[in-house]
Amino acid sequence: MSGLPEHVLRGRGATVAFATLTLTLVPLAYGEEVSFSGDVLPVLSDRCFHCHGPDENNREAGLRLDVEQAAKADLGGYAAITPGDLEDSEVWRRITAEDEGEIMPPADSHRKPLSAAERDAIRRWILAGAPWGKHWSFEAIRRPDLPSDAPPSDASSSDEANPIDAFVQARLADQGLQLSSPAEPHTQLRRLYFDLTGVAPTPAQLEAFGDGSEAAWQAAIDNVFASSRYAERMAMWWLDAARYSDSDGFQIDATRQNWPWRDWVIGQFRNNQSFRQFTIEQFAGDLLPDATQDQILATCFHRNHMTNGEGGRDPEESRIDYVIDRVNTTGTVWLGLTLGCVQCHSHKFDPISQHEYYSLAAFFNSIDENGRAGMAAKPYLEYTSPAVEERVEEMSEFVERCREEEVRQRQRAEARFETWLQQTVSAESDDYQTWHTPRPQVSSVEGTRFRVADAHVVRTQGPSPRHDDYRIVLEVPPAMQQVSGVRLEVFPDASHQAGRFTRDGNGEFTLTSVLVAGRRQSSPAELQLELAAAVADVEADKKRKTQWDTRYANIRDTLNDDARDGWTTEGVQAITPHVGVFELATPWQVEAGDRLVVILRHRSTHGHANIARFRLSLTSELGETVRRTDGASPLADLYQQLASEASIEQDLRNRLRDQFLLGDRQYQQHLQRLRAAEKQLGVLRQQAKPRKVMVLAERKDARATHVLERGVWDAKGDVVQPGVLASVLDAPAEQTRTRLDLARWIVDPDNPLTARVVVNLLWQIMFGQGLVRTPEDFGLQGEMPTHPKLLDYLAAELIQHDWDLQHILRLIATSKTYRQSSVATPEMLQQDPENRLLARAPRFRLPAWMIRDNALRVSGLLNDAVGGPPVYPYQPEGVWAEITMGRFDYQPSLGPDQYRRTLYAFWRRSSAPTFLFDSAQRRVCEVGVRRTNTPLHALTLMNDVTFLEASRVLADQMVAKVSTSEAASQPAESRQEGFQQLALKILSRRLHDDEREQLQSVWQAARSHYQQHPRQAIDFGTVGQQPPPAQPVAVDTAAWMTVASLLLNLDEAITRE
Amino acid sequence: MNNETMNLGRRSFLGQIGLNFGALAAGAMLGDEAAAARLKRSLPHFAPRAKRVIFLTQSGGPSQIELFDYKPQLQALAGTELPDSVRQGQRLTGMTKGKPQRILPPITKFHRHGQSGTLVGEWLPHIGAIADELCFVKSMVTDQINHAPAMTKFLTGHQLPGRPSFGCWASYGLGSENKNLPDYVVLISRMKRGSDQPLYDHYWGSGFLPSKHQGVKLRSAKDPVLYLNDPDGFPRELRREMLDGLAGMNRQHYKRTLDPEIETRIQQYEMAFRMQASIPELTDLSDEPESTFALYGPDARRPGSYAANCILARRLAERGVRFIQLFHPDWDHHSRLRSWCVSRCVDTDQPSAALILDLKRRGLLDDTLVIWGGEFGRGVAGQGKWDSPEAGRDHHPRCFTVWMAGAGIKRGFSYGATDDFSYNVVENPVHVRDLHATALHLLGIDHERFTHRYQGLDFKLTGVEQARVVTEIL
Repeated sequence: MSGLPEHVLRGRGATVAFATLTLTLVPLAYGEEVSFSGDVLPVLSDRCFHCHGPDENNREAGLRLDVEQAAKADLGGYAAITPGDLEDSEVWRRITAEDEGEIMPPADSHRKPLSAAERDAIRRWILAGAPWGKHWSFEAIRRPDLPSDAPPSDASSSDEANPIDAFVQARLADQGLQLSSPAEPHTQLRRLYFDLTGVAPTPAQLEAFGDGSEAAWQAAIDNVFASSRYAERMAMWWLDAARYSDSDGFQIDATRQNWPWRDWVIGQFRNNQSFRQFTIEQFAGDLLPDATQDQILATCFHRNHMTNGEGGRDPEESRIDYVIDRVNTTGTVWLGLTLGCVQCHSHKFDPISQHEYYSLAAFFNSIDENGRAGMAAKPYLEYTSPAVEERVEEMSEFVERCREEEVRQRQRAEARFETWLQQTVSAESDDYQTWHTPRPQVSSVEGTRFRVADAHVVRTQGPSPRHDDYRIVLEVPPAMQQVSGVRLEVFPDASHQAGRFTRDGNGEFTLTSVLVAGRRQSSPAELQLELAAAVADVEADKKRKTQWDTRYANIRDTLNDDARDGWTTEGVQAITPHVGVFELATPWQVEAGDRLVVILRHRSTHGHANIARFRLSLTSELGETVRRTDGASPLADLYQQLASEASIEQDLRNRLRDQFLLGDRQYQQHLQRLRAAEKQLGVLRQQAKPRKVMVLAERKDARATHVLERGVWDAKGDVVQPGVLASVLDAPAEQTRTRLDLARWIVDPDNPLTARVVVNLLWQIMFGQGLVRTPEDFGLQGEMPTHPKLLDYLAAELIQHDWDLQHILRLIATSKTYRQSSVATPEMLQQDPENRLLARAPRFRLPAWMIRDNALRVSGLLNDAVGGPPVYPYQPEGVWAEITMGRFDYQPSLGPDQYRRTLYAFWRRSSAPTFLFDSAQRRVCEVGVRRTNTPLHALTLMNDVTFLEASRVLADQMVAKVSTSEAASQPAESRQEGFQQLALKILSRRLHDDEREQLQSVWQAARSHYQQHPRQAIDFGTVGQQPPPAQPVAVDTAAWMTVASLLLNLDEAITRE
Repeated sequence: MNNETMNLGRRSFLGQIGLNFGALAAGAMLGDEAAAARLKRSLPHFAPRAKRVIFLTQSGGPSQIELFDYKPQLQALAGTELPDSVRQGQRLTGMTKGKPQRILPPITKFHRHGQSGTLVGEWLPHIGAIADELCFVKSMVTDQINHAPAMTKFLTGHQLPGRPSFGCWASYGLGSENKNLPDYVVLISRMKRGSDQPLYDHYWGSGFLPSKHQGVKLRSAKDPVLYLNDPDGFPRELRREMLDGLAGMNRQHYKRTLDPEIETRIQQYEMAFRMQASIPELTDLSDEPESTFALYGPDARRPGSYAANCILARRLAERGVRFIQLFHPDWDHHSRLRSWCVSRCVDTDQPSAALILDLKRRGLLDDTLVIWGGEFGRGVAGQGKWDSPEAGRDHHPRCFTVWMAGAGIKRGFSYGATDDFSYNVVENPVHVRDLHATALHLLGIDHERFTHRYQGLDFKLTGVEQARVVTEIL
């Protein structure tokens, strides 16, 4: 690749030859006109404005080059720029200086020197009289004439030439290029569906489209626009731009209730709301006359910023942040301006002063808010969503099914209990032990020494440190198959302080944390075992009189990693041994030689409260045994009762049954599912109540708005009034007072930026990249449009058609440019690797959310419901807990909610959904796209439950098809047909022969593997909410699942072609 | 790489092309990629002292007063009001704003260590024992007083989320030395307390850099990397079959579309397959001798503990990973330093010291830069009743201590000084951005020239204000 300066690589407007990455720069042909905005201004901006631009605080030598008057001002016989005279133009002298001290830009600025071509452009511009102009995007939008020299439209096509094609073809013709031939019909339809609905067309839609006649294409576009999926797809675009999230962000990251606004957005696209109105309502719906609930709801847009609920945070500092965020978001989304820079200083490149920035901020500065977060972030709109009722019904049905299944499963489990009881009763049981006390190995961190005395009681000796951690290793006795709980006995002794529990201090112990880990015979690792609960025979009274911190009392406080609380029995007069029992969340299955490690931490604030004498025991029993401290258990009671009488009392039988059911994994699975489903339904019902949606409302007394020095929130400078950016579109003061005024200014037909920015974003939706490839920056440092006239044409068209987005999208969709093939010949790649000329359609990987939605769609799992409370797609266990240290826990949705579109997935800012990659982060607004290609993406698509479950469901469909009696008579043929059907669903086309052979070979390999390992076939098939595959078809299911997963991972399957 | 992978790898007809090169080979790159490629060719700017960084991030703000910044004269001032001449209008958080600022002298005793005679608080005996290996910067300064903004600044150079983290910059600029592991790996201590400072994924996020540079979190869960494990009942040999079929069909499609991105995708799937072997091999400590656990302490046996993560940090360093970042949460000791702060010291003291010793023994310390520190320090005034054992300390941005080691950093050295109150830096201030500039310098990068263009601006890790390389500690 050549070492060309970066800006040369960008499109440079129609007046300049296009330079590709591989070609050497083509200098302006002699005599060709130099364009100020295309050739000169970008160079001045990039190399000079940083020190000689709009920012008065960073201006060197008092010279500014961004204003014509200043640049041409007489400096005593010469000027920075003297029209027509190189000798007297200081700029020319400096950019061509040989002397290191003279040359501009200076070396220490780390800005590249001008290239020969750039210098030449400046030279010829000065010689031509240095005509001044504006940056292109600040020029008024005028509908350009269609290129007259555009090649005649394809003779075979009878339709009227699409203006888009005229502009694109004219540019191509300059380079001796032309549009590619149309893409294959299925590719065209697939492209349209992905771009505008986010999912592939169904085989039926493909069939209806046929060979893609003009009428069929129009019908397909109509269908797309008529579908909710279109509205959802567009809403996803808008949610990213709006930094929409279901949580606050920052330290507390509390959950919000703003999702009705998301449904409002969907509704707007569903009704093809004019973008003008869409804008006005989001900025100032509350200020409209007789504002409706929905218009007020719309203003949530400007409350979607992060909010900081961190303790000790100054709310005013936060409030200022929110105001700033609104200004920056407005800049990025509507104006394509990087206003963020102007928070601290006047813009270094674009003609925007710091005063103007804070004048914009003034529109947002008198919201009736207080800088708080969580559910104290007024103002709110109490809003009852109509979308919840159906969800509740759907979920109630699911809960009912779970309940019926639980009843069935319980009956089966109780039958198993009876069998077990009979076996247990008849078994020998003389030596049954509930608690086992293996000989411990004990060590300490701070120096305490230990001696294991009779009955495995541990006695401490040696130093008495202030704090210590005891580490006890217990070899699990061979009689135990699992460990479900640990029992700690604390003993007093006459030798202790006051005859109580410690060797120093006041005699009382304080245990701050207990950790349990399991160590396998073969491994050095000690896997931490989760403790579910702890009980003690006695706990200190939190209201007791004590020298200590009364937070030390309850044993459950030993389960956290917090040394500021814990268990003590301080205040209990009688001197007796004490007992604490710790219950494992899941019993640990053990084999001979496995060891349990218990860590007892004494790290209290007061110190000198380390347990002096103790013993640890283990049990395998569940339920009441690990929830009582007296050591009794139903099993022990059973054996005792059997020793004296033949029958079992009902009460004991019930206790035994309860314990048995807790250990019955199959039943527990169904019971847990029911409980979780009931909980989910309960949460859903709450959502039917009025939600507090964060919206805009003005406070009674307007706040004064100050310029903030260096952007620091409390460094208040001059007071400013609300005002707009004069360099964009000037407006009299009386028309710039309210947010409504601001909104109207933004969508004023004379505003040169908004319509350009919006059509560019629409172009990005349809082509993967905008005509301006820096969609967030239309300023001087942004890229030039690849097709400036086309951009202006579309912008004019948008304004003229009352900001009808579908009009523009349809115009694009009906162009040949859109419908052409994406095949890139080596010559095309060589000549135009970034596809700026559009001699081919772009080919790019779909956004991660579309890949997920499409997997649901092609498998038939997709739940078509529109709107409603957020849902929780599968994520690996612990993804929230591990970064919030357990404060939030993620529970995937059960039932039909699991299969909703990604748009509805709960978005937690501190941990975005793990199954999305390259997605917007929803912290600040983002309108650009990222497309990287990493192994982590591959792992996600291979192993995320959603994709595996979709594969399983597709496999079921194929197995059902090929196992029909008709198909069974010709297994090979029906299998081939199965491959074709899968391909039609996933790739929207039939397979070529070589592809079928490839699939056949994988299918065969998988099938023979699973024939050898039928158990694995069942494991593989048991995924998501699917029941295990039936034994007779499990092997076939697993083979088809392998093939389906392969197809879902194909580059073609995840790519828009 | 274990034998199984080797064998399966041979069945694959694919070249072993790494992540970054794979992406570059694609030809059709976005403008970003082209710029990145140019940048990469220019790096390093000069010979690096450090090949990699291990950043031991202590989240919450450890107390320099109890641990490193010895101020015996405070004992005499216990309970007196902090003079305004010292405070100089320093902001306080809402927790102590408007309350009397009474001096709480250090709770710890300090001990002198080694030939350097460095004073270290008694709660860090192991760190004290290796003080001759370390350089203590006692004059660190930040400008943020709340956790998330301060940590974001500490890691990305700017207080608002959205900029790339230091590790991403390192990955972006220098790429990888190991094709089977990510360039930037993040390890978080597993804790059982609902910590008040969540560790947001933007702390290791790539911001506007391509997301392949973002930190990859190595978890102590069943999937050490998200989605790493194949599902139950889907063995590795079948994954190989599936990937061979996938590559075959992708190649067939390439012939029809001629899109070079397809070849890149095939390579990413192969890299994923190799990671499925290389990551478990990395995280399985079975091959560590008993002496390792003796060195790092018994906690090192518990996956997810800070100590276990320190062993992993060394294993990652051995494997050439560019940037390794540990996070230990819960250093936000607003109360009860005697129990709360002590606990975090116990978690981290021995393992941090062990890591330095271990790296040194293996000859890795010479080209590994180790940084230990949190987002800010703590104030000299007691929070809560200053004379109660329950007293703690509020956030303090004007001074804090960070220690560094390795890669040519001066040994047994202390740099910078604070006033008698450990409140203001009075000598050689080192702003967070200076720390970044210095670390980049050690990696062979001139922070002024290491930029990425986004939204029309040239961004750099050290931001817009002047940053300097602290040459005095090199």
